[in-house]
Amino acid sequence: MAAIPATLPRRRGPRLGSGPLARREALWGYFFLSPWILGFLAFVLVPMVVTLIFTFTNVNLSQEEPLAFVGLENWQRLLTDSATWRSLLVTLKFAAIQLPVMMIVPFAIALLLNSPHLRASGLFRVLFFLPYVVPFVAGVFVWEAMLNSETGWVNAVLQAVGVERPPNWLNDTGWIYPGLVIMGIWGIGGGIIVNLAGLKSIPSELYDAARVDGAGWWSQLRHVTIPLMSPVIFFILILGIVEVLQYFLVPLVLKNGNGEPGGATLFYNLYLYKTFYTFQNMSYGSTLAWLLFLITLAVTFVVFRLSRRWVYYAGER
Amino acid sequence: MRSNLRSLVGLLAVMALVAAACGGSTSPSPSGPGGTGSIAPSEGTGEVVEIRWYCCLGGGGVPGQIEVEDAVVEAFNASHPNIKIVREVVAYQAARDQLSTEIGGGNSPDIVGPVGVGGSEAFHGEWLDLTDLIAANNYDLTQYAEGTVDFYNVGGEGQIGLPFAVYPTILFYQKEMFAEAGLNEPPHAYGDQYEMPDGTMVDWDYDTIDELAKLLTVDANGNNATDAAFDPDNVEQYGFEPYRDDIRGLGANFGAGSVVAADGSTFQVPEPWDAAWRWYYRSMWDDHTVMPGALFDSTDYNPEGYPFCTSRVAMEVNYLWSTYCLGGAGETWDVAAVPAYNGTTTSPLNADTFRILKDSKHPDEAFEVLAYLLGDASADLLQAYGGSPARPDQLDAFFEGLDTEYPFGVDWQVAKDSLAYADNPNWEGFMPAYNETLDRLNIFGEKLRVEAGLDLDAEIDTLGSDIQAIWDRQ
Repeated sequence: MAAIPATLPRRRGPRLGSGPLARREALWGYFFLSPWILGFLAFVLVPMVVTLIFTFTNVNLSQEEPLAFVGLENWQRLLTDSATWRSLLVTLKFAAIQLPVMMIVPFAIALLLNSPHLRASGLFRVLFFLPYVVPFVAGVFVWEAMLNSETGWVNAVLQAVGVERPPNWLNDTGWIYPGLVIMGIWGIGGGIIVNLAGLKSIPSELYDAARVDGAGWWSQLRHVTIPLMSPVIFFILILGIVEVLQYFLVPLVLKNGNGEPGGATLFYNLYLYKTFYTFQNMSYGSTLAWLLFLITLAVTFVVFRLSRRWVYYAGER
Repeated sequence: MRSNLRSLVGLLAVMALVAAACGGSTSPSPSGPGGTGSIAPSEGTGEVVEIRWYCCLGGGGVPGQIEVEDAVVEAFNASHPNIKIVREVVAYQAARDQLSTEIGGGNSPDIVGPVGVGGSEAFHGEWLDLTDLIAANNYDLTQYAEGTVDFYNVGGEGQIGLPFAVYPTILFYQKEMFAEAGLNEPPHAYGDQYEMPDGTMVDWDYDTIDELAKLLTVDANGNNATDAAFDPDNVEQYGFEPYRDDIRGLGANFGAGSVVAADGSTFQVPEPWDAAWRWYYRSMWDDHTVMPGALFDSTDYNPEGYPFCTSRVAMEVNYLWSTYCLGGAGETWDVAAVPAYNGTTTSPLNADTFRILKDSKHPDEAFEVLAYLLGDASADLLQAYGGSPARPDQLDAFFEGLDTEYPFGVDWQVAKDSLAYADNPNWEGFMPAYNETLDRLNIFGEKLRVEAGLDLDAEIDTLGSDIQAIWDRQ
């Protein structure tokens, strides 16, 4: 019997994807990707680089002073600008309320819609989704009227059920965030649909197996539903974080961007917008934009790293 | 063969996508026809030059005015085959930001208007000096009232506008509400005193307004603000409505001034403005004679925006341009002299015009359109805007037009007389870091109107230090 060599001879042959056919296919692939690549370069990467350059200059709308390189002046201003850090704090405070609500409420409603006991589930799905398609600004104006402390019907209902001094939703620093969150619940239709799709993809055999093992509703939720929904929950969390960091349209429309009451609606992105277009200070606005980008990058990086501990992908484990 | 055909179809699809992504207009406007910018005509080709008219940094954005503007544009376009006016109508709340993006994006419109002093200051340095165009076109400046042309000749920037419309502040009042309260009507002539119900003659000033406002503020049970049973949470009719759109304008009703001290870089609060702000705050939250912010914002309670236009107040000081919504005020209102403060009468002035942006690619054609708007089209536009003409020859016809619109004997002589009490310096005048300063002032104004129990000394101090910090950074 021949001895087995200590090492096997290396087989030499063409690497996967290195032949002329593979190269031609790759070229066609890049060619079909080119519209996106060109768009990314023209509308994302180049503007990003330009705004980065702006952060080191004195660009503004009227440019009454000659355009000049100012070094780190804008970045130094960032460190000492109390309005910037106040607006970040406002955004964080709002996120602490908004994110849990925007994750739990759509999930809970999707659970209800997925219940086998619910009749006419299609009708309920439509009803819950309908507000999502209402034009955004119209929706804000409708809610502004509903939450008006003097004439809004929300307070009228609260007074009718015995609440003597209903909240001043839009002009009280303690109630403005709940007011904004209530407005936000109007738009959870998209989140409900995503959660519902996730719930429907969970194999029913797992629930059958859990019931055989004696698991009740709560145990099934904890040990089957939530783990298998974790990728969807993670997806909604990432989108929610990005959305809350970019939150500005509602306070802009509701309060004309003045940040009231008491600066509680001067979100970071709103302050960025005002710096650019109201104060016409393009260079400092670019600096704020880059700070937002870095913060968003850092937060999503941390969330992605932490996701390894709690997001379960069925194919991986 | 099939593979080659598929590849060809794919290639054509990709080329179509790239062409679609790279083509099209660079900066669409949110409403109105928008524009792709004016087209430079080549000599002798007869190409049409597009002149973009941007509205509405001031007035011009309400439904009745838009129709008039559209008709004005249509008439011009029909008679000028080589120039076409294209309108961009942007709501007032978004107009400044939208214009900033257009200018910043290199896509400036040609003409902006109607725009007042404040709107112009917000874009300080962006306006075209018309001196050369006026000379080249032999434009007749003698048609305007003396001094009004110089109003738009700004040091360092040249002749950046021409007179169009002036809007004095007047007092609008409801005659029936005064009669129901057993009160005499306010004086129409400046300098006249007011007769109280007990026959005593008093000066027509804000102290008198205080007393009258309490008698004219009525709750749902018919009690006025002097009654012990008055319910401030159920007011049906308020006694007085100040001009509250801008906290500086509110202050100017008590006296002319500026937040900029003589050195041009120090923040100050003119004494009349300090008094006005405190008077406004006390009237709203202590006396309950002025509508609080939440009610003012309520479209149920105050659908027209200005409460006088829905007969919710007995008296309102406002500009002549507020006549645009007075259809809802009924037919028993009239106008009177504005009250004085500390013996001085001030009728703050708004002055609108149309201006050409310095980045306009077709200044000659833009000036031709400007001359049309200030000339042939001015009568219709002034009527729509409620603006008193800057041209003396148009005054009579303008007020005759108002009489036609409100044929119940309004004393428009008051408006003409009010021009003599214009505020100088104008309250919308220059401030360093204009937009950022105005933003801070607006936050202060918003706080006054929605938050009771403020320490005004502390709030005004904070306002001053915040604005000074903004100015020190410039």
